[in-house]
Amino acid sequence: MGFRRLRAAILAAALGVVATPALAQQQRPMVWGDSLPATLDPHAIFDVPSQFVLLNAYDGLYRYQGNPPDLRPWLAESHTTSADGLSWEFTLRAGIKFQDGSEMTAEDVVYSFRRLLSMNRAPAAAFSPVLRPENVTATGPRTVRFVLSSPYAPFLSAIPLVAIVNPRVLAQHTVNNDWGAAWLASNSAGSGAYRIDPATYQARVSMDMTRFADHFLGWGHNQRPIEQVRSRPVMETSTRVLALLRGEIDATDSYLPTDQVERVERNNRTRVARDESMRVFIIRMNNRKPPFDNRDARLCFAHAFNYEGFNNTILRGLVVRNGSPNPNNLWGNPPDLQPYTYDLALARQHCDRARAAGAPLDREIEVHVQNELEQTVQAAQMYQADLRRVGVNLRIVPNTWAGITGATGRAESTPDMWVHWVSTYFVDPENWIGQMYDSQFHGTWKASSWYSNAEVDTLLRRARASLDQAERQTLYQQATRLVVADSPDIWVYNTLNLRGLSRRVQGYQFSPVGSGGEMRLMSLAN
Amino acid sequence: MLSYVVRRLLLALPALLGLVFLTFVLSRVIPGDPAATLAGDAATPAQLAEIRAQYGLDRPILEQAVIHIRQVLTGDFGRSVFSGRPVAEEIGQRLPATLELTFAALFLSTILGIPLGLLAAVNHNGPVDHLVRLLSVGGLAMASFWLAIMLQLVFSMDLDILPLRGRVDVEIGMPPWRTGLVLIDSLLAGRLDMFWDGLLHLVLPAVTLCLPGLATIARFTRSGVLETLQKDFVLYARAAGYGRVRLNAIYVLRNAVNMVVTQIGLLFGALISGAVAVEAIFDWPGLGTYAVQAILSADYKALLAVTLVVGVVYAVVNVLVDVAQALIDPRVAEDAR
Repeated sequence: MGFRRLRAAILAAALGVVATPALAQQQRPMVWGDSLPATLDPHAIFDVPSQFVLLNAYDGLYRYQGNPPDLRPWLAESHTTSADGLSWEFTLRAGIKFQDGSEMTAEDVVYSFRRLLSMNRAPAAAFSPVLRPENVTATGPRTVRFVLSSPYAPFLSAIPLVAIVNPRVLAQHTVNNDWGAAWLASNSAGSGAYRIDPATYQARVSMDMTRFADHFLGWGHNQRPIEQVRSRPVMETSTRVLALLRGEIDATDSYLPTDQVERVERNNRTRVARDESMRVFIIRMNNRKPPFDNRDARLCFAHAFNYEGFNNTILRGLVVRNGSPNPNNLWGNPPDLQPYTYDLALARQHCDRARAAGAPLDREIEVHVQNELEQTVQAAQMYQADLRRVGVNLRIVPNTWAGITGATGRAESTPDMWVHWVSTYFVDPENWIGQMYDSQFHGTWKASSWYSNAEVDTLLRRARASLDQAERQTLYQQATRLVVADSPDIWVYNTLNLRGLSRRVQGYQFSPVGSGGEMRLMSLAN
Repeated sequence: MLSYVVRRLLLALPALLGLVFLTFVLSRVIPGDPAATLAGDAATPAQLAEIRAQYGLDRPILEQAVIHIRQVLTGDFGRSVFSGRPVAEEIGQRLPATLELTFAALFLSTILGIPLGLLAAVNHNGPVDHLVRLLSVGGLAMASFWLAIMLQLVFSMDLDILPLRGRVDVEIGMPPWRTGLVLIDSLLAGRLDMFWDGLLHLVLPAVTLCLPGLATIARFTRSGVLETLQKDFVLYARAAGYGRVRLNAIYVLRNAVNMVVTQIGLLFGALISGAVAVEAIFDWPGLGTYAVQAILSADYKALLAVTLVVGVVYAVVNVLVDVAQALIDPRVAEDAR
């Protein structure tokens, strides 16, 4: 007798009941095994796990859906922009209700943006350079106006980052003018398709959600919506995969190790959803630190990485070669751009030239890896062996995300090299090349190569300010050509998101923003 | 006895204070910026600076240490820089899981380790002794993460008789919170289904965790019993006609077990540190996984609180062990005067 049958028998005996047909029909909750964010407050943090809460418990004015991501009106039914690009006006749909039953108005949108900008945490970074809290105003019961201090083309692209919260709920829990932040860290106050049960919430361990039947978009699109979602992050990769195979969870995270793909697909209860994302794997170089202040030295490193070996052998071809800062599947890339190739003879030539120019290539170079993310270690190990063949001694330093990003505030403390991904926070080249190579972002982890090129700065700033899409496209293409020629970093691949799923999960739709975690679209087969 | 207990508790205080200071300094000099964790991925340098100022992270380390110790003395562990929630609240949610697992492992180690050690000693150099020695060496040498995965593969995946991970089944859920210990809370709630479910979930992690402890206790019991068997009183007892079983199980074991009791106290610390790997693999939401997550996210407030809580639990358990020793052998309390 298997464990489940044994348990069912004991359960029945213990409860003294016999399972009825109705009970047998009851839907087992969706068990989601992906990570939970640090806090449930959507204005306090913005990272990949927090998008799960944002997509399910909250709504924004616009939302990305599909792949490639399509920006769709969500709470807003439309928007207008002034000719100078400074004034943006959004019109809310009628009849939107928060989960407490109260109606959403333009004042609630104003409150949400003012809360975001006043708290000034991570998601505010996309707006704070151009938007002040007092410049968000309600011009009618359903219209909101944003007046920017300077034209900012990615404004609309960043709008989905902002969850609209219920000020009436937060007012009851505000302490010392904290905007209800302490309370909202473990509760929710939104209008989203799923309601978080705060009694079951345990940071990083569990979060239960129940379907919100009165969601403003209704449920006509889904005949069998998921009633209960149990979010149960599984810490260890091996346990996560076993839990999926055994049916204890219905979905893994979307970074299933490539060596587990075949195993999951072999099981008749599970499958792997493969979707090209917008998440670029990068090996950073600190361009302020010798030898990386020398272009030849950087080119030497660019030609010494075995892209094909890493992408096709170690990662089993489950990624796509990406030779520039922007993901391949995003606009703004020059169509004829040639990525760097693995060529040790060429690498040697560049290294020799750099040495002749005085670049200290004989010193030990440190590459910091995120120890808990195996791919970063694998890439560094492979690179170490190849660099040794061109006379460069690479030392691998285990570190953590917090450890590395905490050090990138200053060029002196930024590691020589480090390995990471740049994910999709909003879908615009600004999210990648804009924030990575415009020198005004020095001090942030995204700009941690400390690259500086006045011509690139000018192009990126013009692209940021222009509302003409064709012009922006041309400007980003020009900037990309210059950046790639300077080789400030090593761009390796664009991620193919791999999420292990139970076959009972239907309607899973991947989008690079949120990684397919939108429960509203899914259903569960019997 | 009471003054003995009070004396032992007072001796633990300076050690705990030193622990708080040392861990604070260590947590602040290792690489990692709590402000970066708190601010999230997209933060600007200005936002980071604001957070550092808000949390006092820009002050000299010694000043931060003094402030921290003052807060801890008033029972304030601060807020987690990762979640923004009170650390005391988060630890309150996690500690029972670790205690339940650790005590279960300690219980298994003791009830299996002592009889095995006794059997090995009374069969000195016989097949049973060799077998127990083999088990002991294996138990100490085996990596817990390897054993955990093997147990998962065999008992959860192949035989399908025990759960793979977690404390409870997602459909059954946790019993109403009273102590945070699933087994006790489910009994208090009169839910035998939950008790059984919790017990099944406890088996594999507890077995994995108990093995090194079991080996240690078996080895110490064996050597203690062997030593005691050489004592004159054993010879006299045999001459007086005491039966073998009665003599070994009562008189010899009682004299030999004192050293084992000391080991149990020390083992408790080892079990808590061993729980880190076991909790991670079995997805057991205890202090071990909490500490790992705190390290990865540079959540120094959480890390400091975990260290202190483990230190306090360790100190309390060792006082209990001292008391147990004094009860088994009254000479211990006499000597301590």
